[in-house]
Amino acid sequence: MHSADRILEVGSLVKYFAVFERGIFRKKTVGQVHAVDNVTFHIFTGETLGLVGESGCGKTTAGKVILMLEPPTSGSIRFEGKDVVDTFDNGNQDEMKQLRRGMQMVFQNPYNSLDPRMTVYDIISEAFVIHKHIPKNQWTDRVYELLRMVNLEEYHAERYPHEFSGGQRQRIAIARALAVDPKFVILDEPVSSLDVSIRAQILNLLIDLQKKERLSYLYISHDLSSVRQISQRVAVMYLGEIVELASANELFDRPLHPYTQALISAVPVPDPEHKTTRIILPGEVPSPINPPKACRFHPRCPYASDICKEVAPTFEDRLVTGHFVACHHADKFV
Amino acid sequence: MALIGPFLVAYPARSYRSLYEGDAGNPPSFKHPFGVEISGIDVFSETVNSARNDLYVGLAATLITTLIGVAVGALAGYFKGVVSDVLLGVTQMFFVIPFLLLILLFARVFSVLVFKGLGLTLIVLIISFFGWSSIAFIVRGETLRLREMEFVQAARSLGAKSYRLLFRHIVPNILSPVIVISTLNIAGFILTEVVVSFLGFGDPNTSTWGLMLNEGFPYVRTTWWVALFPGLAVVFCVLGFNLMGDGLSDALNPRLRE
Amino acid sequence: MDDRLLEISNLRTYFFTEAGVVKALDGMSLVVNKGQAVGLVGESGSGKSVTAQSVLRIVPRPGRIVDGSVKFEGEELLTKKEDEMRKLRGPKMAIVFQDPTTSLNPLYTVEKQLTDILMLHRDLSKESASKQALHLLDRVGIQDPERRLKTYPHELSGGMKQRIAIARALACDPGLLFADEPTTNLDVTIQAQVLELLKQLQKELKMTMVMITHDMGIIADMTERVTVLYAGKVMEVAETPTLFKSPKHPYTEALLKAVPSVKQTRTLEVIPGNIPNLIEPPTGCVFHPRCKYAKDICVKKEPELEKVAEGHYAACHFWRELELGPGRGT
Repeated sequence: MHSADRILEVGSLVKYFAVFERGIFRKKTVGQVHAVDNVTFHIFTGETLGLVGESGCGKTTAGKVILMLEPPTSGSIRFEGKDVVDTFDNGNQDEMKQLRRGMQMVFQNPYNSLDPRMTVYDIISEAFVIHKHIPKNQWTDRVYELLRMVNLEEYHAERYPHEFSGGQRQRIAIARALAVDPKFVILDEPVSSLDVSIRAQILNLLIDLQKKERLSYLYISHDLSSVRQISQRVAVMYLGEIVELASANELFDRPLHPYTQALISAVPVPDPEHKTTRIILPGEVPSPINPPKACRFHPRCPYASDICKEVAPTFEDRLVTGHFVACHHADKFV
Repeated sequence: MALIGPFLVAYPARSYRSLYEGDAGNPPSFKHPFGVEISGIDVFSETVNSARNDLYVGLAATLITTLIGVAVGALAGYFKGVVSDVLLGVTQMFFVIPFLLLILLFARVFSVLVFKGLGLTLIVLIISFFGWSSIAFIVRGETLRLREMEFVQAARSLGAKSYRLLFRHIVPNILSPVIVISTLNIAGFILTEVVVSFLGFGDPNTSTWGLMLNEGFPYVRTTWWVALFPGLAVVFCVLGFNLMGDGLSDALNPRLRE
Repeated sequence: MDDRLLEISNLRTYFFTEAGVVKALDGMSLVVNKGQAVGLVGESGSGKSVTAQSVLRIVPRPGRIVDGSVKFEGEELLTKKEDEMRKLRGPKMAIVFQDPTTSLNPLYTVEKQLTDILMLHRDLSKESASKQALHLLDRVGIQDPERRLKTYPHELSGGMKQRIAIARALACDPGLLFADEPTTNLDVTIQAQVLELLKQLQKELKMTMVMITHDMGIIADMTERVTVLYAGKVMEVAETPTLFKSPKHPYTEALLKAVPSVKQTRTLEVIPGNIPNLIEPPTGCVFHPRCKYAKDICVKKEPELEKVAEGHYAACHFWRELELGPGRGT
């Protein structure tokens, strides 16, 4: 199923946000938010990589940085082998546009991600206006085609976003992303604000489109159930770092990192006979401004020992091939 | 009414004809619906003629302040860094300057121009020069809010460049509060003119309501109609624009759109 | 009969808006026995939040309860005067709302928010109220309660805020607690903490709890009986295990099949269509436009809530004929 090709390669990606204190004339940097801290992963062509974590773990920021909506502090991003950061640094308009066509994003909030003053037609055709990759006389046909692909009707093109429900708006957002014929789409919590009965519609649509259009996805979410549904491989983020990465089934059935275990056990299972042995983590998610030293999870980890406070664990698949984890005690769980 | 008024009234602006006709100082009557000033000016025609001038001030000043305010505000809100800070600082500076005092000052200083009939334009220019800051603040605030909205991010990820983002996406979405504020500004600027002329800093040769009030004020006990009618005109005009602003605010609210 | 703490019959709560009359609740019935943990499950527009608001009579304008009966401890609530209701809110019944950021007053310290209620209903002095507040914080598992008393809501994390909201709701030992999507805005691991807390408190205090949620997982974990709401009407009522194993209403079955599970990957079955417009709801059975088993009669005639078995009711014309599958993967 996976080709050997890696459509996206992210290497040691770092994104820090400066925290300011405003004086009268100057701003003083008093700290850094370690939003994304040395993240490395790759996505094969045609696969979906799920990226899970709770708020503040950096997954949304990672998505934005990959698309260069925010410049990275350091690290490399390669799309189809091309260096993305370099291209944007050089300012080469043509190459930047090419990249923009290759990678797209569907945002979380369907109520904010469509310009309320534009018709659906305008929203979708904006891609054509910017990239001009389709001759003008074919625009209407292509818009209708895209609408059909997301199970909407042609007459919807004349309407405004506020006339649609949340689920329909997400479809429009998906159609817009597809308008540039991308190869890779980042989906940032696309179904979190939707009702349960609508979520399945959108998830199935995304899976369908992936097969038909041969797309690769980065599926970012805090909802583990939907992540399992759509992803082939899953990465777990905590406080800016990836702590575990494995195939979906492997990760969910045999999690090796204590955080992943707690995360999975915390999700309520729609089965009354399932005995929840919840691993309750003490305390709150610490602030990414001053993350704990060494293993960032050690203050809340039920298995933490001295080494966890001193030495940062390496991210490796030593124990099970293809199953990467950053934990000193992972061997306990194999 | 204000536009076609001058053609309807019997007497041209500032005409003292009634004096010659012996009607000076008469209270309202059929021939002179609003009465006549002591100087012989027919209050009705004068009021109507003034309307055109006052509206000129209100509309012109509003147009210019809105353009400047939107431009400065949008740029201040959209860009980060030095540009934004400088623009913000400038806006704040202009915001605190009491422009009424400045208008009076300039009117005295440039009294020659004022007397030549450019007084109104002078007022328009000064109002425009100082009065854009309130709009700029609002526009900046809205732009800041919209800049982070996902539909703007989406356009960016499609490859849209800054000017497209600003003009195609952000500005159309800030128009509704701007239109409302501008409408209210029309009323406000007209009042400014009224105050300036009332205090005697305006051009005695250009008909405005402020001027009429200035002239009628000393005689309010006797020929009270001279002050009353322009005063009412101002009240209704301001009220009218305020109501229009209110109505627009409701009409433009996208939530209420069906 | 004595066991019934709350009895809602045929409740209709409508919202009179400029666009039309929104029938948020249109003939809803519910029975909650003392000490039970009951679930009220539905999506947006189902009317689940409005139910809680209606019982406490805090339905926001332009909403109004137009018909039905709500009996609490045998007494009819809908005919009570406002001051009588006020005496009940707090000591007898309380709600924990979804978003603790907006349900806690940002201007007051934690202490004040708790002591206010205690002093109002219990007539305590400030000192005893503060002591009681400390005790409450302890009970909801807040570390370092002395210090926390003096903090403001914005200084606290989401999970902690929600614990305080729970403390506030429990301040006067109400017999009935509504939890309206209490964990929806929280992170998964914090959600687990808060759900455990609620479970624990319910057992300790033998409190009657109505858990309002859209999450079938929470229903499975926290409730004994569950009512399924859709577009203001009751679709099915059953003991929780029964609902999951043998649902009798197509909507319930559809919901169960559409929910992804973290335990396994399976094909999700899609429910076509959208949540209906409550101003002009569908005729007959309100679910018929999206129901794969719908027939002519479903369009014409609204089904009654019929008894399927002891304690199990379904509002469907065809519950006898349909062989509905369980929700857990096949």
